[in-house]
Amino acid sequence: MINQQYTLNSFNCLNKPTASRLHNMGLCEGCPIKVIQRYPFHGPVIIENNHQRIGIRYRDFAALTGVEA
Amino acid sequence: MQVLVNVLLVAAIIALAVFIIFRTFRKVKTGGKCAACDYDCELKKIKDKHDHLMAK
Amino acid sequence: MANVALIGNPNTGKTTLFNSLTDKYAFVGNWTGVTVEKKVGTLKNSDIQIVDLPGAYSLNPLTKDEAVVTNYLLTNRPDLILNITNASQLKRNLLLTIEVLERGLPVILILNMIDDLRRSGQSYDLDLISHRLGCQVATTNARGHKGINALRQQILNYQNISSQPLQLDYSGMLQQAIRQATEALQNDFDYDATTARWLTIEFINQSKAVREYASAKGLTPLLSQAPYYDAQKFADQIYENRLDFIEKLLADARQSVTSGGQPEVTSKIDKVVTNPILGLPIFAGIFYLMFKISFEWVGTPLSNLLDWFLSVPVSNTVNHFLIQVGAMAPLRSLVVNGIIAGVGGVLAFIPQIFTLFACISLLEDSGYMARAALVTDRLMQLIGLNGKSFIPLIIGFGCNVTGIMAARTIEQPKERLVTTLIMPFMSCSARLPIYGLVVAAFFPKHQALIVLSIYFLGIFVALLVAKFYQLLFHVKERSVFIIELPEYHLPRLDIIWHGTWDKGKGFIKKAGTIIFAGTVLIWLLSSFGPSGFVTDSTKSFAAVLGHALVPFFKPIGIAEWQAISALFTGVLAKEVITSSMMVMFHTSNKAVLIAALSQFMTPVAAYSMMIFVLLYIPCFATLATIKQETGSTKWMLFSVVMSLAIAYVTSFIVFQVGSLLF
Repeated sequence: MINQQYTLNSFNCLNKPTASRLHNMGLCEGCPIKVIQRYPFHGPVIIENNHQRIGIRYRDFAALTGVEA
Repeated sequence: MQVLVNVLLVAAIIALAVFIIFRTFRKVKTGGKCAACDYDCELKKIKDKHDHLMAK
Repeated sequence: MANVALIGNPNTGKTTLFNSLTDKYAFVGNWTGVTVEKKVGTLKNSDIQIVDLPGAYSLNPLTKDEAVVTNYLLTNRPDLILNITNASQLKRNLLLTIEVLERGLPVILILNMIDDLRRSGQSYDLDLISHRLGCQVATTNARGHKGINALRQQILNYQNISSQPLQLDYSGMLQQAIRQATEALQNDFDYDATTARWLTIEFINQSKAVREYASAKGLTPLLSQAPYYDAQKFADQIYENRLDFIEKLLADARQSVTSGGQPEVTSKIDKVVTNPILGLPIFAGIFYLMFKISFEWVGTPLSNLLDWFLSVPVSNTVNHFLIQVGAMAPLRSLVVNGIIAGVGGVLAFIPQIFTLFACISLLEDSGYMARAALVTDRLMQLIGLNGKSFIPLIIGFGCNVTGIMAARTIEQPKERLVTTLIMPFMSCSARLPIYGLVVAAFFPKHQALIVLSIYFLGIFVALLVAKFYQLLFHVKERSVFIIELPEYHLPRLDIIWHGTWDKGKGFIKKAGTIIFAGTVLIWLLSSFGPSGFVTDSTKSFAAVLGHALVPFFKPIGIAEWQAISALFTGVLAKEVITSSMMVMFHTSNKAVLIAALSQFMTPVAAYSMMIFVLLYIPCFATLATIKQETGSTKWMLFSVVMSLAIAYVTSFIVFQVGSLLF
């Protein structure tokens, strides 16, 4: 699961502030991301995009990539 | 004479302390944040200058 | 006098650049949200003022912090804007740049951390960027002091920089809506064309700060159209148009691309410290090390030396001098047993406090803080907060007031409120002197461990109370947790020193003001009694007050009137507790007080007293800040009552259970 590539599918299931913060960080629908690290018990996920590393919550990650929660 | 000087010095130190406590209470009352902080930053100086000009 | 504003995303090295450009430094940390209020400095060798604004991702503020930036642009007209960007992450940085350029003020675009970009094998055609955006472009590496002089020359020349507002082509309906509203604003409200267009775009883009501004000013052309703008999802279109523009610009300007990627060092360190299993133990280990250094290896030995110096040579010399010039007993008592013993007793803890601050500054500068937020997020979620609350809480170890200010970076208002309310349970540096005394007297072998246990108890209580608030306030909003993990940098000595000094100098200043005043107050109370001046302090007002309250404090193990009276003065500032003890035990020497204390109390009672000091009523600077940041006296009073109750209950339990066990 680590170092796997994902594509951001949809921002629709996120709450508004989260979506707009991710947009501000240059993440948009269709952007490729790489998972760097994930934490047990559905803890945060570290993703990499465009030379930046960002920590997001598992729930948001699942909503973005469409991976089963 | 000696007694007087002694009494005056003690009174002066106490007065200074009481003044500081009152000043701190007043500062805190007029708004925490910057007012409650002991550090005179640039921003505070500019604000004081600004208030001063506005008062004129 | 000219005004220059520094605007940029978090983690772009904004504050480092500010410090290199100006004479006066401001503090930097390698995590988001260090600049909580704007800071002002003067450009070296000039009278140009530079304003350092908090880092913002966009002009649509999610946090109180970002609102400062938007409001600054709404109400000020700086002569020049320095838009600082991280050269390796231009795509997202330029989103803010576009918003700034649309404001139509002269702008210099700074590509900072240009070395990182070059190392990754890339470069950009700066002329092309400059031409397309219509602003000057400069490159710097602020941490390495590169490009600073050239930039300073550009700033000095600010009058020759023309302002060309960026006119991005927005698509179809959106463009038309912008044009209509802009014209209406120009005609009805006398805005110039650029400002009107900027206001319109930001309004359509749902910027909270601009919408509030429009409501306040009654800008009907915008307000009446708001439902239409939102229904058409114009905000999304604006974002897409801007992103298209940026992607095209970067594709055209990119000159050579070899395979890049994250520099090795950061990846390697991150493999260890953000390890899913080891992350939390490493976090705890780093803290243990911090306290070991402050209380056993470096801080305490230095502190003992300083204490000896203040209590033996200084105290004796002053005493002899006073006898020679004919000072009488009360004056000598005030100066030697009052001021020197009290204020000196607190000053003796400078080494421990500064060592601890140096450790915290080192953590902030290295970039570890963001990782700490990440590894603690899962735990924080359990109590309805998020990892981001953790950073202000750690800042609160320095001073609760700055911690509460740092809580401004939290997006959700309720999470911010809870973080503010639990802040007083974070053991601030002012409480260190009293711990220092107690551990030296009762736990000489395990000083670091005992102090660490008090800190963790504070955190534990804070988390418990947070959970309680979460249930009380029915926090149901889905919280936001997105945290950037900046590159690690090698800590720079001057930055750490500045950070330490910045945090520590308030402590020294307090010694001259409120600690001094509190000491004099307690000297008065312990030197005068119902019968006038007394040499035996057991007949003083302080003793009368203390004795009266013994029944209340006895169940938590504090049965000495000296300690009880000292607790009262702690509301002025927590350091005053220590100086009050010095004054009331009539000693100018820490070692003597330590010996006296161990006769009065059992170790369990002493530990219970430390807990009470940790948790009871916050000092009133903190109370005032709580009032300010929550905007209500209610929360302030609430905090007083809650902390007093929690302190009493916790120390009661610890003392009663502890007395049974030991």
